[in-house]
Amino acid sequence: MLPPRFTADCFAKYSFGFRCLCAAGLVVCCLLAPNSVYAQVQDAKEAELGESDVVTNEQTSGFVETQSGHRQERYEKRIKPLLKQACFDCHSGDDVEGNFRVDQLDPDLAGGEDTEWWLEVYSVLSKGEMPPPESSELTDAERIQIVEWLSTEIQAAEKSRRSRGNRSSFRRLTRYEYNYAIQDLLGVPWSFAGDLPMEASEEAAFENNADSLHMSVKQLETYHQLALEALRRVTVRGDRPPTVHWAIPMKIPFQREKRALDRDIGLVEKKLEGMPDELSAEIERLTNQFQARADRSHYLDLSTGVRANVDWNYRKASFAFKHSDAYEVMPELGSHFAVLQPGGRAGLIVELGDKLPDEGTMRVRIRASRAEGVDQLIPSLQLHFGFRATDQGGASQRLSQQDVKIQAPFGQPEIYQWDVPLSEIEHRNTYRGEFELGDQPNPSEYIRFANSTVERDGAENESPAIFIDYVEVAAPVYDEWPPQTHRSVLIESKNSHDETAYAQQIITDFMTRAWRQTPTTRDINRKLQLFRRLRPINTDFQEAIVEVLATILSSPKFLYVLPGKQDERQIQVRDHLSQHELATRLSLFLWCSLPDQTLLELASTNRLKDRDVLRRQVDRMLADPRANRFSKQFVGQWLKMQPLEFLRPTRGDDGLDGALLESMKQEPIALFADMLQENSSVLDFIDSDYLVVNERLAKHYGIPAVRGNNFRRVSLPISQDRGGLLTLAGLLTMNSDGEDSHPVKRGVWLLTNLLNDPPPPPPPAVPEIDLSDPEIAKMTLKERVEDHRNHAACLACHQKIDPWGIAFENYDAMGRWRDQIDGKVVDAASVLPSKASLDGMKGLKKYLMQHRQEQFLRATVEKMASFALGRQLDFGDRAGVTDITRRLRDHGDGVKSMVTCLVMSDLFQTK
Amino acid sequence: MALDFNQLDRRRFLRGSGAALALPLLSSQVPLLAADAGRQVNPKRLACIYYPDGVPMPLREDPVYQDWSWFPHGGGTEFTFTKCTDVFEPLRNDLTVLSGFSHPAARKVHGHRNADQFLTAAKIRRDGPYQNSVSLDQVYAEFIGDQTRFSSLVMSTDGGIGTPRAAQTLSFNRSGRAIPAEQSPKRIFDMLFVKSDANAARRLANNESALDELLEDARDLRGILSSGDKLRFDEYLNSVREAEVRVQKAKEWVNRPLPSVDREKIEADISPESPRRYVQTMFDMIYLAFKTDSTRVATYQIGRENGAGVSDRLARAVGFNLAHKLTHETKNPGGWKNLGKYCRFLNEEFTRFATRLKETPEPAGTGSMLDNSLLLFGSASSAFHLSRNYPLVLAGGQNMGFKHGRYLNYAGDNPISGAWRGGPEPYTKKVNHEDQPLTRVFVTMLQQLGMQTDSFAGATGNFSELLS
Repeated sequence: MLPPRFTADCFAKYSFGFRCLCAAGLVVCCLLAPNSVYAQVQDAKEAELGESDVVTNEQTSGFVETQSGHRQERYEKRIKPLLKQACFDCHSGDDVEGNFRVDQLDPDLAGGEDTEWWLEVYSVLSKGEMPPPESSELTDAERIQIVEWLSTEIQAAEKSRRSRGNRSSFRRLTRYEYNYAIQDLLGVPWSFAGDLPMEASEEAAFENNADSLHMSVKQLETYHQLALEALRRVTVRGDRPPTVHWAIPMKIPFQREKRALDRDIGLVEKKLEGMPDELSAEIERLTNQFQARADRSHYLDLSTGVRANVDWNYRKASFAFKHSDAYEVMPELGSHFAVLQPGGRAGLIVELGDKLPDEGTMRVRIRASRAEGVDQLIPSLQLHFGFRATDQGGASQRLSQQDVKIQAPFGQPEIYQWDVPLSEIEHRNTYRGEFELGDQPNPSEYIRFANSTVERDGAENESPAIFIDYVEVAAPVYDEWPPQTHRSVLIESKNSHDETAYAQQIITDFMTRAWRQTPTTRDINRKLQLFRRLRPINTDFQEAIVEVLATILSSPKFLYVLPGKQDERQIQVRDHLSQHELATRLSLFLWCSLPDQTLLELASTNRLKDRDVLRRQVDRMLADPRANRFSKQFVGQWLKMQPLEFLRPTRGDDGLDGALLESMKQEPIALFADMLQENSSVLDFIDSDYLVVNERLAKHYGIPAVRGNNFRRVSLPISQDRGGLLTLAGLLTMNSDGEDSHPVKRGVWLLTNLLNDPPPPPPPAVPEIDLSDPEIAKMTLKERVEDHRNHAACLACHQKIDPWGIAFENYDAMGRWRDQIDGKVVDAASVLPSKASLDGMKGLKKYLMQHRQEQFLRATVEKMASFALGRQLDFGDRAGVTDITRRLRDHGDGVKSMVTCLVMSDLFQTK
Repeated sequence: MALDFNQLDRRRFLRGSGAALALPLLSSQVPLLAADAGRQVNPKRLACIYYPDGVPMPLREDPVYQDWSWFPHGGGTEFTFTKCTDVFEPLRNDLTVLSGFSHPAARKVHGHRNADQFLTAAKIRRDGPYQNSVSLDQVYAEFIGDQTRFSSLVMSTDGGIGTPRAAQTLSFNRSGRAIPAEQSPKRIFDMLFVKSDANAARRLANNESALDELLEDARDLRGILSSGDKLRFDEYLNSVREAEVRVQKAKEWVNRPLPSVDREKIEADISPESPRRYVQTMFDMIYLAFKTDSTRVATYQIGRENGAGVSDRLARAVGFNLAHKLTHETKNPGGWKNLGKYCRFLNEEFTRFATRLKETPEPAGTGSMLDNSLLLFGSASSAFHLSRNYPLVLAGGQNMGFKHGRYLNYAGDNPISGAWRGGPEPYTKKVNHEDQPLTRVFVTMLQQLGMQTDSFAGATGNFSELLS
């Protein structure tokens, strides 16, 4: 099997691959980066710290302070001597390992500055990573003594910090939240975020992290510009534009293609006049010669069985179909079809010329069915748009969001329809209106139908063909005039003759909806003043009012996640969220957008406080299609799937084709959404007996009997080494280098995202592994990693990373199972620093389930909480996370339970 | 001049009329402090000029090699121009000829798709979704754009944006979106010197009032924020204030009288039907825009790739019919010479433009205008649509530290040359010679233009060889 080839540059970004991880002592990088505050290993030690400790630590911060003298004494007497014995050799004085002095740490965790360092000490001690095993001067009992002291101190400090908490999720909307919010407000699912820059989120954080959401003058101007554009796109002017129609029976292109045959037959008829035998033989020969291959897309005359090639060329627009001003009723089913087969790049191009308008809906309808005698197989169809103006100059894009399943049986075709907002097409042919149709450059445009049924090698005996006999296109189609989007902004009013009164009405309505609150008189009056100032500069009412409304959308009251109103906050208990704040947080969490009317009403009537009401709202919101945004955004960011966006499809039998790549990107999201829906256990992310796949992925994994391009849950055959997140093709591919697996990347990814225990980043300027060394070149990947790791300087870091990654070695660069690599049997066995051995993926999953279950659950709660709160968690949030994790366990570990537990928690409902 | 694309009807927008000159308000990013009054500061200008389809590169053994190769013979300071390039001779000490440079991401694309990434260095796929990135000129325009009435001037003979992979503009914004180019000298002239723009004035008035309003909203909101949140929110407040300053600045430009230029001397009505006069006039537009300090950034795409547009007929300036065809006919007798004559015509007009800059003392500074203008002139094809070894001339900018009078040859001893006689085209062949990344030249250009940067399009590194 050849390794797939990806474009190399996509990997350069995240490839610290075979480099020495550290030259000057690994502790340096561990301890200089105390960014893993939450890097908690919930091993047996921590499990012992149960409820009983919590009781003794129910202290107020004041109490902690008065007790600090006592605590200090305990540290000096009992703990410091142990640390001195175990750590000070390397970590004290001026010449220290890792630039880290244990002797100078402030033992006051609640009030001191060194809490994060102490957490680091806690982590390395409890995991047995320090002191170095080979030179350990710490008995197990002593180790437990320090760990217990630390965990008590940590818990006390958690309480104390929590009560002193001064954290804030005040932030602006992210780019995607802005887009969704405008979509919800204006009522159309178009792209509104245009030129807004992508969020520059920090490595560990989610994009909605309050600390990293900045604002600049450029961005502000972009918001204003986007608001104007959005409002102009959803409003219209003047009379309803006339609709252009195309009515295209497949008889037309069939006959166009067959003309060549008819001409040839005409010639031989003349030539062989009076020789009927020769003539019919010659006609048969010509017809056979003309006959297109049945397994490729073709035009078919069912009455004669003649098949003509599907041909298309952009030049002279000679393939463009004629349009008309009037709608033609679809005729009865004829005997001419376009027969679409999967594969092949062309599909069926239906060229429309240069009359498609710039805006409005393009409605495409086709009459189609499956092939004759097909029973099981359900083919899929996609709609594309494109143009070619010159040999090189052109563009094409897919229009259909989801593939259409063609279920109609042969002989009983059905109508399938797409409504396409033309303004959403990114590249239109800019030569329209400038050049004549057929000129060079050619201003013509086309739509294209592609049969996207997954091709299976020989296994299927049913035809995947799609039979189309009629194509209808109309544009622009406005079911109403002015359209609903227009009327929801420029509302109908009896005041429309009185500009000021009308403006006031429009402003009040729009501001109420956009700002999610009843506007004050002051707000309204100010906008009215603005209207009066702008009206004379602009040519008409509509232009002026759009300018005013654009300021409502560029206002911080729209762009920022607002704190509650003053009066509301006076009745707040400490830093509990107000009802409106809660509604907003909930909505941003589960819909990535602003709250809807229902939530707002519950908030204003103070009913969100009611836990049953709140719980029902979570149910309602998760059942709403908008919850898909949550799955998409949370999963993409949690699993750091961005690198998949840099991959490009490759061709060839063994390549990463477009459908596979697209399915890989979708799979983790589909899995999460399905588990959320079913309330499956969060632990199923580690291992499960089911997959959520579509046909393309099923083929990739070698799972039979999954048909169609929609994702659905399928039981996993026992023989399959899949299940959970670890073996998802996309994630394995992302954590490869394009040619082969990448154990280091895979290990880092697992530790960072699933266990929330990120290893220190690689230091800068580490040397590349020397592949020109013949000894190194002939090693297997695992041997290379091990060889590399055996450099003393690299060891400490890599021994924490590599064993995890090596357990993935049975999965190749595209996530396929393999037993051999270059003729050698795959060796996926490894040993963790704790001496636990991992025997490949099965072993890894088993180990995670047995020893890291708590850690994984806690890590997942932390990740989701960070996303839900829109800020990074800190030390003071630890108790809250513990609480949610415990509740989650009590409620059976379900993904949906996790969402609910989180929403119901103090952590979610406070600042 | 239309500032606001939405005020235009969409087709006009798509075709791009009117977007060629953008007010700084809409495109510049970094507000600069105005120079101290009284102190003379030389402006730093950038113009990038491109022509399609490449240049004559006959084989060494071809009898016309000596006369009609585009690249000079020799190297360093010891080199001689050919009949194709001898028009550069008078400017010898004001320019550097470069060979052996190209964009790494674009070395395998067919020459017919080269214009899109000449100034962006983007990797553009052969088909599927199209994504470009910001062009060299626009990076500089973001930096310097608000010092002048227009942040940049974007021109091409064919106008508009063309299509993905067959661009009719060299300029792409920060998001990689094509910036429509203006093709009519008359419209450019009117925008620069004749019509004060009512549309722009209205846009600015609207923005000014809108910003006042946003400031009020922001103050309201700030009042209810905690002190920590206030700190965070000040970014918004400051952005509004900065935007207000920018509107004021833009208004000053709009209200300032247009520079007066003697209309009599300009034959702005010219069209490509009179090819030589047309190209001259387009260059004149850059000259005038620079001279009046209306902008400091300009691009001009002399022709789109692969013929098929009005620019193809510029070949009639030297008695041929279609320019692109000349590159295909180099295999015919006299073919190299014919292509050479056409390229000589382009070189001649570029030289005329550079010479005019050289002959004009810097209006409010030192040296000539050429000393303060950095000119990049070239194509992204060499031997038959091969997207390597770009034929390039870097001229002017001596006050910015550029050292000239040299032919810097990085193409190796035996660059791919010769005509295409069918079979696999040169761009599909394996090439052993590794070109220098052109982005390094771009980085040095930006640095000498005053920007603090060490990378372009994600590629780090400059090319200090160019400097004295």
